[in-house]
Amino acid sequence: MSLKDVFLQNPNRRYIMFGGKGGLGKTTFSAATAYWLASQGHKVLVFSVDPQASLTDIFQKDIFGKGAVPIMQNLWAQEIDADSHIKNYQGEIRKKILDMYGFDKVPDEIEDYIQAASAEPAMEESAIFDAVVDIVVKGDYDYYIYDLVPLGHALYYLSMAKVYDEWINKITKLREEMREYETMVSRIKREKETDEDKILTELQYIKGRINASSSILTDKEKTAFFFVVVPEEMIILDTQKAAELFAKFDVPIAGYVVNRVLPDELRHQEVPAYLKNRLAMQGGYLEKIKTTLGAQVRGYVPEMERDVTGLAMIEKLAKIMYG
Amino acid sequence: MPDPKPKKEKRGGFLGFVDNLQEIMYGMAAHDMSRYAIRTRASMEHLFILITMGDLIGVPILPPYYSLRLLPYVVPNIATWKRRMLREKDISDAMF
Repeated sequence: MSLKDVFLQNPNRRYIMFGGKGGLGKTTFSAATAYWLASQGHKVLVFSVDPQASLTDIFQKDIFGKGAVPIMQNLWAQEIDADSHIKNYQGEIRKKILDMYGFDKVPDEIEDYIQAASAEPAMEESAIFDAVVDIVVKGDYDYYIYDLVPLGHALYYLSMAKVYDEWINKITKLREEMREYETMVSRIKREKETDEDKILTELQYIKGRINASSSILTDKEKTAFFFVVVPEEMIILDTQKAAELFAKFDVPIAGYVVNRVLPDELRHQEVPAYLKNRLAMQGGYLEKIKTTLGAQVRGYVPEMERDVTGLAMIEKLAKIMYG
Repeated sequence: MPDPKPKKEKRGGFLGFVDNLQEIMYGMAAHDMSRYAIRTRASMEHLFILITMGDLIGVPILPPYYSLRLLPYVVPNIATWKRRMLREKDISDAMF
């Protein structure tokens, strides 16, 4: 089945992700797919969850931290600015503390904690995770294309939903038990009502957001995850390992796209030994890809004559990928 | 922190007597129970803060992003919690 057929046969798909090792063409494929879907008349948002995003480079337009920026008809692109997201979030927390207790300033100890928590390495990913929830729950677009981070990080990102989910379930349960004690005391003391537990309300809100995100990541009908590979040994091995891990997280893998395939016509031409060797090497690994991934390969994309930046090149690539 | 509940007004005569009797019965039968429940509830509150804000005393926790959302609600409890977490245990703990 070709990439195009995958989309035509699954019209309910809304969330498209390209994953793979760094530098194999995730952003390029995301952009080309977004371009094709938009030109088919769908409203598309392509956004990056990578702190070192490259959508700005590929669209040759500064979109970092500017929200959803229109690229062409039906197509928007967005790069999340994790730093400013965290800053705003910290500001909200501070304001809440000041409002709730009528302080003039946040107590030093609390301020230190806010600062320290924001310096945690997980903070940036968490902030992006949260920003993505904001983007997808709004549901303004027909298609959301996730330009993912390289594999290791992507796994982390995917597992985060699961970790959050378990964490939140545990503490919600503890909070509910606490609640039982509270109501017991009021019953003994014959008080009619207990005050609302604001923390429990807050936990339920967080839970709702995490569930929204993790249900998308594992939704077989609405979500498609494509792996980008190139015909090289290490890449093939790493991708296979990653695919197993992704499957463990119930991520619906929709297939593989092979990038950087040297054009076939070179085989029949007089070429220098260097190129001949590369062709032979690729030939071997392409065979390997065919035997191991076989029917799951959705397309072979040739090495382009130049790097893909700007709409003209994206259009060209989209034509190759989707005919 | 929630405002303390307004005290019930004292009633006189027979009704006052009934009120007093109610208080005495409560003291005899249920006070201990509710005290125990309140104490358990307080321990759980401390456990809860430990799980969500452990970083404050150097216990790494996951994930800090969403625990920040809870921070405003536990602000008044943090001082007591820290004291409790960091104090050394001695024989008086068992006595009181």
